[in-house]
This record gives sequence, structure tokens and C-alpha cells, in this order.
Amino acid sequence: MRTFMKYGLLAAVVGSIVGLADGQASAQNLELTITAPAGAGGGWDSAARSLQEAMRASGNAKSVQVVNVPGAGGTVGLAQFIGSAKGSPNQLLVAGITLVGASISNKSPVDLTKVTPLARLTGDPLVIVVPKASPIKTIADLQATIKKDVAKTIWVGGSAGGADHILAALVTKASGADPSKVNYVAYSGGGESLAAMLGGQATAGVSGYGEWEGQIKSGDLRALAISYPEPIPGIEAKPLKAQGLDIELVNWRGIFAGPNVQGKDLDALKAAIDKTVKSEQWKTILKTRGWSDYYAPGDEFKTFIASETDRVRTVLKSIGLAD
Amino acid sequence: MITKTPSSVNRTPAVIAVVLFAVAAITYWDASHMATRATYGMSASAASYFVALLFLVLGIGHLVSAFKPSDIDIEMADWKAVAWIGLALAGLVVSIWLGGGFILGSTLLFAFTARAFGRKALLVDVCLGAVIGMFVFLLFNKLLTLALPQGPLERLF
Amino acid sequence: MESISFLLDGFSLAIQPANLLYAAIGVIIGTAVGVLPGIGPALTVALLLPVTFKLDPGGSIIMFAGIYYGGMYGGSTTAILLNTPGESASVVTALEGNKMARAGRGGPALATAAVGSFVAALIATLGLAFLAPMLVKVAVQFGPWDYFGLMLIAFVTVSATFGSSPLRGLTSLAFGLWLGLMGIDQLTGQARLTFGVPELLDGVEVTTLAVGLFAIGEALLVASRHLRKPEQPIPVKGSIWMTKEDWKRSWKPWLRGTVIGFPIGALPAGGAEIPTFLSYNIERKLSRKPEEFGYGAIEGVAGPEAANNASAAGTLVPLLTLGLPTSATAAVMLAGFQQYNIQPGPLLFTQHADLVWGLVASLFIANVMLLVLNLPLVGIWVKLLKIPLPWLYAGILVFASMGTIAANPSVVELLLLSGFGAVGFLMRRYDYPIAPAVVGLILGPLADSALRRSLQMSLGDPMILFQHPGSAIMIGIATIALVAPFIFRGLSRFQQDED
Repeated sequence: MRTFMKYGLLAAVVGSIVGLADGQASAQNLELTITAPAGAGGGWDSAARSLQEAMRASGNAKSVQVVNVPGAGGTVGLAQFIGSAKGSPNQLLVAGITLVGASISNKSPVDLTKVTPLARLTGDPLVIVVPKASPIKTIADLQATIKKDVAKTIWVGGSAGGADHILAALVTKASGADPSKVNYVAYSGGGESLAAMLGGQATAGVSGYGEWEGQIKSGDLRALAISYPEPIPGIEAKPLKAQGLDIELVNWRGIFAGPNVQGKDLDALKAAIDKTVKSEQWKTILKTRGWSDYYAPGDEFKTFIASETDRVRTVLKSIGLAD
Repeated sequence: MITKTPSSVNRTPAVIAVVLFAVAAITYWDASHMATRATYGMSASAASYFVALLFLVLGIGHLVSAFKPSDIDIEMADWKAVAWIGLALAGLVVSIWLGGGFILGSTLLFAFTARAFGRKALLVDVCLGAVIGMFVFLLFNKLLTLALPQGPLERLF
Repeated sequence: MESISFLLDGFSLAIQPANLLYAAIGVIIGTAVGVLPGIGPALTVALLLPVTFKLDPGGSIIMFAGIYYGGMYGGSTTAILLNTPGESASVVTALEGNKMARAGRGGPALATAAVGSFVAALIATLGLAFLAPMLVKVAVQFGPWDYFGLMLIAFVTVSATFGSSPLRGLTSLAFGLWLGLMGIDQLTGQARLTFGVPELLDGVEVTTLAVGLFAIGEALLVASRHLRKPEQPIPVKGSIWMTKEDWKRSWKPWLRGTVIGFPIGALPAGGAEIPTFLSYNIERKLSRKPEEFGYGAIEGVAGPEAANNASAAGTLVPLLTLGLPTSATAAVMLAGFQQYNIQPGPLLFTQHADLVWGLVASLFIANVMLLVLNLPLVGIWVKLLKIPLPWLYAGILVFASMGTIAANPSVVELLLLSGFGAVGFLMRRYDYPIAPAVVGLILGPLADSALRRSLQMSLGDPMILFQHPGSAIMIGIATIALVAPFIFRGLSRFQQDED
């Protein structure tokens, strides 16, 4: 499983670079290195490569290089980045909510509060589904099922402690059951858990909306709700918030600078990122990739990181994955 | 070519038995320190305990076989050649560790491995290794844009 | 039938001269890169994928099919000639294939692999074209308990690779199982045997183990013997082509390999390795000359190679019908599709029928081309062994470590590779079989998570394994396969006593 994700990723990277080679030299003289703390091709890597493309094409950096440091949900890359990018004016890191969870559950000595947030970039909704033949028609039905017997409500989704697991725990808690009793069966990714959903082996499933979009549209899976705070055009399922559950969970990604980057250096980086995010090139990328814009500037992002870290830790504690 | 064991105890299986017991102990220790429990079904430690038990049984098996006549002939090894390959691999690892880069590392790997097989023309092999390393590096970094570790040599390109 | 007319449309697309050229180029570079040790089909396709992006979707998918099948085929070449399988699915091929090559029969080994791959891929691609929608319905019904049953069968069959001593074979298997424990447990997020090294949290890569044990271990062993007993350049005895006898012994294993490989490949967590073990074991059981196994039996190459290629076509079933990548190579293909904004999944066959059938047709064409190109190449590959030994092994080591670095440029990974090389050398030296270790690493984690998922879904009740007919039957087969040899041995002894 591990291998093939890695290679798949590799392909995607290699793919995404083709055609980017002739980036325009720009007025800006930034020569940046972006660390993607994951193998080539996954979410963080494609975010890093897309940012690379947009920064060069929009002329907000002279050159951008992407370095992949895979391992342990990103904590290997984060630790390396913190070591090498201290005070550096030209090193960036792409990371997201998974890294927050991985730092906690791997008991990593470093986490995202140790680096300097520049901007939150994208955020994708998670979706809660049930099999086509399931008697559960609405999120309220699902809550009733959970309340009736939390152990027999079998959830499937991505790796233990990841965003999917957290959402399952939050929904369980909101349904009035003990989140530590959630029967969450972890699979290595959206693919295998999809097979378990289609085979009817689970009560409910969680995944990134994009991964299961095909089966939702074809009617093989019934989407009950998305975890985004607001409705998203083109997605029929309504947000949990609109259905009476005070839960929002977004698979966000953001960009960071090293520890102790201050003053002029920090301003230059922030300016370059902000300009890039507002460029036409970035908007085009979001559209083709199917990412939802979830931009927040550095200071807002900083408070957001702190609150997400607390929230994820609380949930992971409640399901027994952190102490 | 063939070493006959001098004593009644076969050294090799006995040594392996000790290694197996050690691995069993480590695995048991690791499993007993696992904090996360599964809420339903088996925990992650179950497989560890199973493997530890398996190692224990195999260790006993090796211990028993140590007192039986050996059923395999062990050839004399040319340890010098093995050491050269060890050096070759160390050359690669150290070169990448210390930032010497991919080309230097694979040059050392190539030349020292060739030396292990009895070649004396080290200079020729160094050149050949460097050419192969460079070719591979250019292929990966330039054509496929896959970042192989870079050192001073690679930055020239 | 509708499918047939679609397929003919696909052929009309694939048979255009430009597309034929793309297919030829794909097959050639796929084979050339796939032949490098440590670079299996997945990495081959990943590395060459960008080349295809320069073409239009049709042309690129066709070239892609060529690269895919070319890389699949290339992996077995080094396994046979140099005893260094490029990927885990070729491990079994190395067992008998290399023994054949050592006996001067490298030509027929490569040929039976090539023809077997062709036959298997041909049948399996037909299966893909006509059975995919039906097969996938069965495949998703496969629950964790069924996977556990399948793993048990696979485990029992591993004993076929144990060689002279069950004790040493089991030890090798246990080593693989132990390595399989390393890393974060998928189900609970619990780290096992990582000793605080963060790089170990992702576990041990199967390729790293296979390349370390096989390629580097082999190099060390040959070097350690070289001065006293210089390895003779292997003579090519007789014809490099298959004899009539070879054909007779190969065709059934090809077909059986296909029948095993395709459906298991189509399972969402089936993979290519398990069918190769199963096929090897079945051929050993059915062979008229079981005594040749372990010394270069052609059935032991023909069956597993067919199984490997049939499962490769099988993995396309969940990929195209569910968008589910179930192997490294399939994950790469998915990335390839996505570049064109084509999302494989339930709607693919209806929305992009032309592309799907174009792909199926080009798989056929690539397959034929592979055979046409590779049979003459057998003579050239065999000459590979004529490279002076020092350079040959130095080259193998460079390419093997490069494969590792390219996938994950970390010092820990390289240290693991070297460490496995040392272990592989010692295992060979003291007559421990290598293949069970690789098998253990592949099957261990799969069996572990399948069993635990089953028990989690049943709230800890082990009876779930017997309540589902599929798993109950498979557990039964595994038990019989395990116990039967003892009973038969007992019976025959009993009969001897009576006489």
C-alpha cells in the first residue's frame, strides 16, 4: 500500500512539472525552496507544485524549487524544515490539517505552531456517505443509529487519527454517544474504504468529497452531508451546520516560513504569497484542480493553527489516540 | 573449502538461536509498551506478540538443531571482497549523508564494487562510475525532474 | 454485442500508424527502463509518464499501455538472468528462472516468460473488456474476512519456497513478518518497532527489502566466492529458444497462471504477488517433474509470470470501473488519467467510452508488439551476462541504489538497503531461502489488518470468519493444504507397513 501511494504520487509530480519549466523571470528576486513534507503527487505535493507554478507564472518569484521529504504524516519533513529553515528568508513549507493530527498522535517534538504561518490557501470538504441500499436516508437517521448502538455503527475511512477519523468522532459525539466508542475501521486511503462501502460492509463512510464524487454522482453512494461550513456550488449534499450539527472540519492546506523569520524578510514572503493567491494563475489552478479557496492571511492563519491544534488534540484524546 | 565443525555443538545455529531470542525479546518488549488499545477486536500488539512467540519457537528449533550434525556445507568466504563492497555501500551512504551528492556516491559505489571483484584499474573504474552516475543524474534531474541528492558536482549542471 | 463494436472502434484508433509508432516507442522504453534492477513497472511508468503528456490523450494512453506492459515484462528479465527481481511480483520468477539461467537455459526461461506474459495478458485483457463490470461487483463484496482467508491460503503456499529446511524457511518468513510489523499500524495509529526513528514510521518498503536481499545480497555472495572460485561466464547451452518439450511443459502453467492471476488482480486488495506464489505452488504440485523444482523447472517460470501479467490486467478492473488504484502501477495510471481530467470511476465507461476501448485495444497491440520485439531481444539479454563480472555487479549496485534513492532520498532508506544486503548475504551463505522473507513482509501486514478489521466489524467475535461462506471455504482450503501432506505421508507409511 505504502509503495503504491508513493509511486502514484511520484507520477503525479513528475507529471505536474512538465510544462512548468519555462517560468518567466520576474521583477521579484525571490529564489525560493518549497518543502512538501510528503511523497510526490499527494495533496501537499500538488499544492506545493501548483504554488510553484503560480508564483513563477505571476512573476512573484524568480525561481522556485520543490523538495519532497516524505514520512510519518509529514512530521519527518516538518522536523527537517524546522532545523534547516530557521530565520531563512527563502524557505517555505506546505502543510495541512493531517500534519496537525500526525504531530500529536506520533508524539512528535515539533508541530506547526513552531513555524511561521504565511497564508491558508485551500480547504476541501469531507463527505459523509452511506451505501445505496442503506435504510439511513438523512444525517438525523445516522445520528439515531449511532445513539441506538454506537459499537454496531461501523465507520470506514482513511488512516487512524486522520481527518476522516476525527469527523467520525465529532459526529458520534454530537449524536450523544461516547466518541471513544466509535467503531472506526481505518483503511489506507479513499480507494480501499470505497470498496468496503460499495460492498456494504460498513454503516457509514468518510472521505474527501473529490475522491468519492464519481460514486456519489452515479448513485452508488448516498451523500448525507459535507463538513464544509457553507454549501458548495455543484455539491448537492448540505453542510452539517445547515442540518443542525455544529461541526465544521475542512481539509485545509497552508504555506509556512521557517521559525524566527521576521521583519523585512517576513514581509517580502507574505507579500509574494498574497499577490500570488490573488493572481489569475492561482485562480485557474484552483478551478482545474477542483480545490476550494480557503484563503486567510498570515495573522488570521496563526490563530487558526492554534485553535485547530487544540481542537484536534481534544478529539484525538477523546478517541484515545493522544494523551 | 569446507569447514568441518570441530566441536559437537554447531556454532552457526547456536548463534542464530541467540539472535532469534534477542529479536523475540525486543518484539515482546515493544509490544508490551504499546499504549493505544483497539476499542473493538484485537490491538496492534497482538501481531507483535504472535511474531515474538514465533521467534521464540524458531530459536528453540535452532538450538535443538545446533546439537545435530550440520546439514549444510559452508564455504570459505573472501572477506576482503565483502569488505570492499561494504566500503562501496558506505561510500554511497556517507556521500549522501554529508551532502557529497549522488554522482560522487555512485562513483565510489561503482569503483569499489569493481575492486571487490578483483579489478585493479581503480582509476578507469572511477571514471566509468562517474560517467554512469552523471548520466543517471542528468536523466533524472533534467529529463524527469526528479530530485536526486545534490552535492558540489551536481551543482555544476 | 455493444462491447465488440466499441472494441473495434478502439482498434481503429489504436491501429493508426502514428499510434502504432507510439506503442512501439512505449514498449521499447518501457522494457529498457523496466530491465534495470530496483526499477519495477511502477517506477518505470512513473518516470516515463511525463513523456506521454506531450501527446494527445489517445496517443498518450496508447504509449502508456506500451510502457506498462514493457515495464512488466522488463522486471522479469533481471530476475531470471541476474537473480535480482526488479519488484516484488518477480521474486517468484527468480526462484526457478535464475536456476535455469545458471544451467545455461536463460534463453528458454526468458522466452517462456515472454510468451506466457503474452498469453496471460491477451486472455486477461479480453477478460477486462468483457467481464469488468460483472467482476467488479463480486470484487467489492470481498470483505476483510475473505481477505484473511485468502492470506491464509497464500501463507500455506509459501512453504513451497522453503527449500531444504522448514526451520530455515520459517525463520526467513518470520524475519519478513517482523519487518512487516515496523511502522505505524494502519488501524490504530500505534507505532510498532520503530525505536523512535521517525523514518521508520512509514514501515519497510517491499522494494527496498527485495532489492537489498536479492541484488545486494547476491553481489556480496558472488564477490565472496569470486577469488577462490571465479564465477564462470554462464554458457548458453543448446538453443536460446524453447524446445518442443518446453512448450509442452509451459502451456498449461500459462493458462493456470492466468486463471489465478486475473481474478485476484481484480480484487481491490489482491495485488500481483499473491497469485505468483499460488501459481508457483500449484505448478510444483501438478508438475510431472516436481524434483526439478528448486533446480530450474520451466513451469515455475511460466506459471508465475503468466499470473503476474494477468493480475496486471486484473488491476485495471477496479481502476477503470471504480477509480480504485490497487497496485503501484495502477496508482500511476490513475495519475495519468487525471492529467487529462478523466476521472476513472463508475461513469468512465459511459463518459469516455472511446478512451477506455482505445486503451483496451492498445493493450492488445502493445502486447503483440512486446512479443514481436522481445523474442529477438532474448538473444541480446542473454549476452548481458557477458559483461565482465566486476562491471556487471558494480552496475547492478548503482542502479539498485538509484532506484531506492529516486523513490525516497533518505539516508535511513539507504542504510536499510545496505543492511538488508548484508542479511541477504548471510542468509544465502547459511542456506536460508530469501523469498519467504519478502513474502512475509507483503502478506504479514495484509493478514494482520484483514483479521483485525474483521474482528473490529464483528465486535471481537471470531466466528465472523466462518459465518461468511467465502472466508469459511478459503480457511478450509488453507487448513486442508496445510494438513493434507502430513496425512498422505502418514497414509503411505501405513500402507507400506501393511505390505
